[in-house]
Amino acid sequence: MNYAPIDWADERLGIAKFTRKSLNKIFPDHWSFMLGEIAMYSFFILLGTGVFLTLFFVPSSADTVYHGSYAPLNGHVVSQAYASTLDLSFNVRAGLVMRQMHHWAANVFVAAIVVHLLRVFFTGAFRKPREINWLVGSLLLMMAILEGFLGYSLPDDLISGTGIRIAYSITLSVPVVGSYLASFLFGGQFPGNSIIPRFYTIHILLIPALMAGLLGAHLAIMWHQKHTQYKGKGRTENNVVGIAMWPAYALQAGGFFFLTAAVLAALGGLVQINPIWMYGQYIPYKVSYAVQPDWYMGWLDGALRLFPSWEITGFGHMIPTIFFPAVLLPGVTFGLLMAWPWIERHFTKDYEVHNLLDNPRDNAWRTSIGVGVMAFYMVLFFASSTDVLANAFSLSLNFVLWAFRVLIFVIPPVAAYVAYKLAQEARSASTAGKPRKAMVVFRSSEGEYSTEESDPRHELELKRIALHGDAPMPLPEEAKLHGDAEDGAPLKKGEDFAFIRSSAAAVIAEEIGERPSHGSGVYQVPRGTPGAGGGLFSPHGLKVPKERKGSEEEK
Amino acid sequence: MKIHKKLGRHLLVPVALGIGASVSGVALFSHGAGASTTSGSASSGSTNSVTYGGTAGSGNAPITYLKLDPSTIGLGKTLFVENCSSCHGDTAEGTSRAPNLQGLGAATIDFWVSTGRMPLADPTIQATSKPARFSRQQTLAIDAYVSSLAQGGPAIPIVNLGAASISAGEGLFSTNCAACHTITGVGDALADSIYAPSLYPATPTQIAEAIRTGPGNMPRFGTGNFSDQQVADITKYVQYLQHPNNAGGIGLGHVGPVTEGFVGILIGLGSLMIAGYWIGGRAH
Repeated sequence: MNYAPIDWADERLGIAKFTRKSLNKIFPDHWSFMLGEIAMYSFFILLGTGVFLTLFFVPSSADTVYHGSYAPLNGHVVSQAYASTLDLSFNVRAGLVMRQMHHWAANVFVAAIVVHLLRVFFTGAFRKPREINWLVGSLLLMMAILEGFLGYSLPDDLISGTGIRIAYSITLSVPVVGSYLASFLFGGQFPGNSIIPRFYTIHILLIPALMAGLLGAHLAIMWHQKHTQYKGKGRTENNVVGIAMWPAYALQAGGFFFLTAAVLAALGGLVQINPIWMYGQYIPYKVSYAVQPDWYMGWLDGALRLFPSWEITGFGHMIPTIFFPAVLLPGVTFGLLMAWPWIERHFTKDYEVHNLLDNPRDNAWRTSIGVGVMAFYMVLFFASSTDVLANAFSLSLNFVLWAFRVLIFVIPPVAAYVAYKLAQEARSASTAGKPRKAMVVFRSSEGEYSTEESDPRHELELKRIALHGDAPMPLPEEAKLHGDAEDGAPLKKGEDFAFIRSSAAAVIAEEIGERPSHGSGVYQVPRGTPGAGGGLFSPHGLKVPKERKGSEEEK
Repeated sequence: MKIHKKLGRHLLVPVALGIGASVSGVALFSHGAGASTTSGSASSGSTNSVTYGGTAGSGNAPITYLKLDPSTIGLGKTLFVENCSSCHGDTAEGTSRAPNLQGLGAATIDFWVSTGRMPLADPTIQATSKPARFSRQQTLAIDAYVSSLAQGGPAIPIVNLGAASISAGEGLFSTNCAACHTITGVGDALADSIYAPSLYPATPTQIAEAIRTGPGNMPRFGTGNFSDQQVADITKYVQYLQHPNNAGGIGLGHVGPVTEGFVGILIGLGSLMIAGYWIGGRAH
């Protein structure tokens, strides 16, 4: 291979050192660390499909007479935004599948962020030194929700228009500044002609740029601080045990990107989402029943439905009812979310650096609080479809509403209590979640059975089982097993059998840990030194770094 | 289709309240007046649309009215006495349990009986659509009997879908019907145990009957609201909604984004989490 171009670039940009460090970067390998990747890859899909949609979407509220290929709306006066979305869906090649992929990707994007957040929360990954990334991630979640709502609103169909109408009222409900805010945002009274183009600018320019920047910061901080890891053999606060960026991790992550793209493309191509042609143009005097927002706004919609129509006065003025569920609740929600690392520290007084993750069962208080809060928002989420639930289960709508008003107070504490008890139970079972030790069953020459835990002498047999299955094998003559404890005489070949029941996977995992010289093995690097020596550009090829002396003191 | 069985508080369905009072019905339901038909066009002097026995109009009329066969009145009376009279009385004069049906018109009777809502399964809840007890001939005989008892009310409409505009129907439907039946016609729960039923099982005649007679809690849309042409337009659009353009793949019940959220989370994210579990590391 000709390295001249690489050398040329290296002499000018110094890329070799950075590339070497990057390619040798060690990532702990665990499936739960890939949840954030789902979100990131969905974001990439959103950017790609979104760019496609901008080529055909017309962000304008101006009226036009629709004469497109969707006959039931032929001759209707609709906005250009709506008409262009119809054309994009019916007349642009691959337009509908792109629009549906975009929408499904948005749904999966926010869902993946939430699940990623839960993983970070329950394992305590937000603790020092990762509070900044917790804040960045929280901001990303807020922006993703807002971005989703804006995108959902752009087609100007009957259902999304109803959502914008609600957003207008929510903005109005903010004390003191609400009417100004709403007027600035909508360019006057609702509906006006400004909101679609303004939402468009925010949706395709402002928030994506902010999100891309925050995502970059999120990754850069993670890169710099190195990923957390679960407790386990050879894992300490001062090292990172995992697979190298190149080739193992890069291939795994690249493959996962294509899996994400495949799932989103399959959903976009096979499952209908938001059939706006059936909803028609948004006209303020029209309204459809059975209207909900996309799922990530569901908890806000549910809160609006559940909150009683109290007229609350404060400072001599009536505060609009919807201020509490629709402004105060999300404010408190995201406020507490972002403050959580400091709230927890206030109680635990834990100022240590944590690179090893908690098992959720080991921190029963945090786990139970997390489950309780999650249950609270789940109830709100389900409350956003009170009408659909009432209809589907043939119940009174009022009954369903009141049931949720009760459940919102009952379910979270019950869930938290159950989670606390379960965590305690799980922790007290000392072997829970650990690989089982192999048990060796012996039969003496008299036919007496006994068992004992395996020890290194059985290693050979365990490996054989891992490779060839669980069939018993005559013991080799020289094996000195505890056959008959009385005389201690070695068993003769063919006389006794060892039946070994073991967690073969555990054996294999340990084995790989001791065999790091193969290309995609598991590596250990000290935390103090990013990457490690060696690499693609060193004459020796990949070098397996050893834990460096002194890394213990770094803490 | 699923059969709604509602729980909840006592709800006597006010059968077509006030319809009997529409004494101008003779002229209101004139047939063949075309798109411009309004209550004002009653002066057209059309008198052949009586309580029953409206004649078939010309081929271009958006709605023609079925002429019921007087010879079936005897059969209708037998069926009515056997199945309906215990609540409505032998001559449909009404009792303390059920309203007077005289003068409501054949369309009202036909809607309630042909959709299976009558005979009622449970008088304490909203009448439920279920498989009809009577054959078409038997239903028409009951219609003929009840509408022979007194004049008034609309006759059974037969919608000429060929002359209807699906596009005009969409505009009328989204303005007048979607607020309860939802924009996709799937129906939804309203306050208390009242619900707007799904429009998917409805035949064109039943749709037009419901619009003109306002069954249960549904408002009645007379000729002052919709011309015959407009009723035909709405009927055509509702027929379309029963088999809509489902471009984009599997339709998710047309109940709005709530099912989309479940699919996105459970199938979209769920399958990706399984994929991650498949290719990622497990417990150490």
